Amino acid sequence: MKSVLTTVIGSADSGSRFPSSSDLESVQGSLQRAAARLEAAEKISKNYDAIAQRAVDAVYTQYPNGATGRQPRQCATEGKEKCKRDFVTYLRLINYSLVVGGTGPLDELAINGQREVYKALSIDPGTYIAGFTAMRNDGCAPRDLSAQALTEYNSALDYVINSLA
Amino acid sequence: MLDAFSRQAISADSSGSFIGEGQLSSLRAFISEGNKRLDAVNAITSNASCVVSDAIAGICCENTGLTSPNGGVYTNRKMAACLRDGEIILRYVSYALLAGDASVLQDRCLNGLKETYSALGVPAGSAGRAVAIMKASACAHITNTNNFTGPKRKMSVTQGDCNSLSSEAASYFDMVISSIS
Repeated sequence: MKSVLTTVIGSADSGSRFPSSSDLESVQGSLQRAAARLEAAEKISKNYDAIAQRAVDAVYTQYPNGATGRQPRQCATEGKEKCKRDFVTYLRLINYSLVVGGTGPLDELAINGQREVYKALSIDPGTYIAGFTAMRNDGCAPRDLSAQALTEYNSALDYVINSLA
Repeated sequence: MLDAFSRQAISADSSGSFIGEGQLSSLRAFISEGNKRLDAVNAITSNASCVVSDAIAGICCENTGLTSPNGGVYTNRKMAACLRDGEIILRYVSYALLAGDASVLQDRCLNGLKETYSALGVPAGSAGRAVAIMKASACAHITNTNNFTGPKRKMSVTQGDCNSLSSEAASYFDMVISSIS
């Protein structure tokens, strides 16, 4: 799974050489930034339910008829539950990616194939984008987390938004 | 290939749970000890050729039959192959120590190594003994206690307690020994 450590080791291995001092330097750089990433991951693991709920509310404000645009109103509860479930899954993978320090978990477990799946299910990716944009506007430093951690969190959200756009 | 961080992601994903406080505290320890780990990797890589050639010379001294006709490292060709393999094993151990996870060692080095060695007629006992010598030597370099032999080859690093890293490296060497014997 792609991270700074595995990338460094992979390239050292393809040249069949021991980890060089520049390899160790780049690992050290990643470890220095890791504290902020772990802080963001920890905050997500504690507050994912509230974050996802606010994103769902934002989606249904913008798209009152749900993700497919043709949902009868009485199905709204079920649609909202599924919508929240999906946001929780994305938050879980963002939590992993922040821990790993690379986009590997998001790429491997969500982004690969998501476009095809949403197309097949007639779901407008714009609804997800609405939710993630709301999350991105919601995070506030230093109220929720430190400024550096917020930057890491927002760049993970940006990565997801770009993958859907 | 996994590292200490992605190992947590994989195990959390298998149960669909978030990576929470418990797992994060072990990763925080990994980060705060990060410089020690990099020094430990550097201690192995900077002394790699010394560690390897000492280990191979060691098995030849302990078992003189190895260098006599029909021995395991008789002919320079076999001796060179033996030195090369020692370096490869040490290299993968250094990768595992850097990653904090044995998956790179298991997947890219040990998987099928025993079968390859038995097909090539490599004496498993001697190979295991060479790895054991490399283990002793590498661990001494990590803890900077290698002042028993020859010219004192010590690294000038900040002194600290590296016993946990030394035993982690030892566990990777033990993994190699148990997989080839």
